Amino acid sequence: MEEKYLNIKIKLKRNNEIKLIEYKYKKRTYDERPMALDVLLQAQEEQYDDLAFRYGCRARNCGVCTIDVNSRPKLACRARVREGDILSAIVTLPVIKDLVVKRDGITRQMKGYNNIPKKNDLNEDADKLYHNLTACIECYACLDGCPVHAKNNIADIKKNDAYKYGNPYSFLKIQRLLIDPLTPDSEKHKLIDKAKRLGLEIYRREYNSFKIKCGVGINLKDEVIKPLLDAAYGDEIEKQNK
Amino acid sequence: MTSNNIEYLDCDVIVVGSGGTGSQAVQAAAEEGLKVIVISKDPMSSSDTKICEGVITVREAGDNTDTEEVLSENIKLAGADLPDKNITVAFANDSKDAYDRLRVNGLRPSINKEKNKPKTLAIAMGGHNKSRSVGHKNSGVAFGHTNWDTIIKYKNVEYFEDCWFLEVVKEEIEGNKGKDIKVLGGIVYDAARGKILFINAPSVVIASGGLSSLYFPKTDTMRGNTGDSYALGIKAGADLLDMEQIQFLPFCLASPPSYEGLLAGEPSTASFLGVLRDKNNKVILDSVYLRTRAECSEAIMRAVEDGRGSPNGGAFLDMTKNISAPKSGKYFMKYLKSALPSAYNNARQALGKEAGKAEIPWEVRPSAHYSMGGIRVDEYTRVIHSAENQYEPIIIKGLFAAGQAMGGLFGANRLGSTSLTELAVFGYRAGKSAAKNANQSVKNKNYDIFHKHYFNFKNLFNKKGKLKPYKLKLDLQKKCWDNIGPARTEKKLKKMLTYLEKIEKDLNNVNVPKEMIWNQQFLDLIELKNMITTAKAIAIASLKREKSVGGHVRLDKKTSSLFSKPYSTLVKINKNNAFEAFKLLRQKTPLKRIINYKISEKFRFMKAKILRILPESISDKIIENKYKNILGTDQITIKPGSLDGAPGDKVNQI
Ligand SMILES: Cc1cc2nc3c(=O)[nH]c(=O)nc-3n(C[C@H](O)[C@H](O)[C@H](O)COP(=O)(O)OP(=O)(O)OC[C@H]3O[C@@H](n4cnc5c(N)ncnc54)[C@H](O)[C@@H]3O)c2cc1C
Ligand code: SF4
Ligand code: FES
Repeated sequence: MEEKYLNIKIKLKRNNEIKLIEYKYKKRTYDERPMALDVLLQAQEEQYDDLAFRYGCRARNCGVCTIDVNSRPKLACRARVREGDILSAIVTLPVIKDLVVKRDGITRQMKGYNNIPKKNDLNEDADKLYHNLTACIECYACLDGCPVHAKNNIADIKKNDAYKYGNPYSFLKIQRLLIDPLTPDSEKHKLIDKAKRLGLEIYRREYNSFKIKCGVGINLKDEVIKPLLDAAYGDEIEKQNK
Repeated sequence: MTSNNIEYLDCDVIVVGSGGTGSQAVQAAAEEGLKVIVISKDPMSSSDTKICEGVITVREAGDNTDTEEVLSENIKLAGADLPDKNITVAFANDSKDAYDRLRVNGLRPSINKEKNKPKTLAIAMGGHNKSRSVGHKNSGVAFGHTNWDTIIKYKNVEYFEDCWFLEVVKEEIEGNKGKDIKVLGGIVYDAARGKILFINAPSVVIASGGLSSLYFPKTDTMRGNTGDSYALGIKAGADLLDMEQIQFLPFCLASPPSYEGLLAGEPSTASFLGVLRDKNNKVILDSVYLRTRAECSEAIMRAVEDGRGSPNGGAFLDMTKNISAPKSGKYFMKYLKSALPSAYNNARQALGKEAGKAEIPWEVRPSAHYSMGGIRVDEYTRVIHSAENQYEPIIIKGLFAAGQAMGGLFGANRLGSTSLTELAVFGYRAGKSAAKNANQSVKNKNYDIFHKHYFNFKNLFNKKGKLKPYKLKLDLQKKCWDNIGPARTEKKLKKMLTYLEKIEKDLNNVNVPKEMIWNQQFLDLIELKNMITTAKAIAIASLKREKSVGGHVRLDKKTSSLFSKPYSTLVKINKNNAFEAFKLLRQKTPLKRIINYKISEKFRFMKAKILRILPESISDKIIENKYKNILGTDQITIKPGSLDGAPGDKVNQI
């Protein structure tokens, strides 16, 4: 006989205090295998109307529902939970309240990165690699384990500051523009400079030691970081070898 | 709360929303060198635009016979003559340029090398009289990137996410025709930083999307569609048009909870032999593949009303006959999987393996998808209101609305792939109009009136009542589904209005703490208020629409005759501060087209009937050939929300 309930722990954070609550999720059918988001929605309805969490599409498209399930970043709308699981905010961004983190420090660090002229002829096909990168839903799961992002001081939520150091997402945005058929070659050095300013070098030093995982399965090391490193430092390395 | 929680800001143009409409408005205003502030309650660019199927209408993408007149007329007729001609003309005129602008901003379609144009879908999308729908790899997410890039591109643009726009601040001034309304800016709750923003600006663009969350969880859209656009608009004095016209997709999932509301298929999914059944296994609709979405929804909802619905308040889409046919059966699976892959995946994951093979019927239920109605604007997106006479409207100075927020473009029916064009065309127009207005305005320096406006919101913090706003929200959503959902009657509509009066009173007895940082109860309360306002507009407009037309299904009334005079409904807040509805007569289609339409409809159903009465050995062979024909093209392309998905919806087309 299957249990009627699932005991799930939810980590709340309010005014710098952390509280672990236990929620008894009532299964709606005996064989239900709920997602983390189902648990949060039910907890809000039944008991904690002040519970703060984000979601949007419920279908793995909008990228805003990322939380930690047992300390691993997951999309809440498509992460199945089991007895005893712990739900908490991701640790790579500052918590505003409960499971909600402040995300805009990343957006702000990219301001104006794309303000460069484009080629005139729009009818050029983009490469498959380009489209691989537009699959990114901006869920920020890849911040976990990123040695560059780790250099940032986690921002003060009272301020709208930009992060100094980049992360796989911001480098993905740059790489996407680098392989965009409409970006003229003459503009590419600006994008590479931007990547360097965001701390690309750190990846170069630690390339073999860090592990990052994309929420939708983009091969970030091979398709973003490596080509960027090649574009930014490829020449220098060659010179040294000579 | 103290006044040091208030932050005073200043700009030329405020854009509310960071979806496709918002980003295009930003670009248009920023290009003029003006200071723009974007306010978004969701993280930047996370919106319906980001989660959509990414198919967009581009005039002439197919061939050069696709003139402006052809496209404009296509949209108007599809909308059962309710659309405003000036607006459909603007749509057609700008559609190409608008799409190219998105491409400059980073949208990359596949290119048809022969024609040196973006590739269109293999078959012209249903309802469109030309092939002009362009799809994109990664669907809406590709648009999401483009919008994101557009908003962060400009130095003169500031943006604030996790910020709820609460109200348009305005003043009344003496005008030629009585009182004129002039915009002074807006009030915003910055939940992340726990602040209230008073933003002084001569122009405000409402680009804050739709209302489908009124029906949560019976919707496939983003959570934030709480009708904010319409509530902001009507409270600022605007007219709302055709609010009863809501597009429901009939075949969405009813269970399990994680998948509830998501798309499972379209009428065409049912294929040649699919039928709808009630819980007693009785056929409640045949020839499903030829039906309109509204017809399917109506059949399902009638069964539910009679107590013959499925366990989760829907019906069963039975496609087993398709699969068991000896010859054509094997083609059906291929068709099912490839016609609407994302919907098929939803269904298979949610309903299990057997259902995935169509060996057992699917439980389906309608979901809210898009609001055709919205804020009344002119073709420049200037918001208008009818002070004395609905035929002589007045412009609200400084207020603009575009995208799903606006009304007047689609009337009773929206063709697939047109909403993305709507936002690209009118978002940009809104930004330009807003910039022009800002350039001509004298800046207001006085924040007194902001304090006056804010007074009402200030009182919503720290309320010591007993009721939980979130619970009230859930209750309202249930009532919306029951009474102003895909099946309506006069009795239900009136019941809804009574209920809305009650819940408005309940608002005095809610519990909201006083904290400023991410006050969840406050957020739920203001969204609830917007939902109440919007629901009221829908109910009142629905009562004014006495017959079934397009997205408005009245179980107690007949379908509107094609010979009757088309009209839009118009809802506004009158002098006595009450909601009031009017009719706004529209231009009628020439008789010749109506007769053509009648003939073609008869013909469609006759063909379907013949298939059903022929012996299986013969019909099976015919169907086999039909599949071979469709599957023979390199791709089957039926998109959610498109008329391919519901060939029956083509009826307005002729
Ligand atoms: C699953 C799905 C598939 C679709 N497929 C297609 C398709 O293939 N082709 C097509 O043409 N159309 C399609 N549509 C419809 C289309 O996606 C939407 O109609 C369109 O994107 C709406 O754009 P918008 O900019 O007006 O609103 P949205 O993109 O929804 O943006 C609204 C913005 O306003 C913000 N906001 C809302 N309220 C407030 C507030 N009070 N304060 C501050 N910010 C606020 C939100 O955070 C968001 O940023 C689809 C829709 C769905 C749901
Ligand atoms: S790269 Fe992958 S993990 Fe990172 S934000 Fe994009 S989708 Fe998420
Ligand atoms: S809710 Fe949109 S990705 Fe999870």
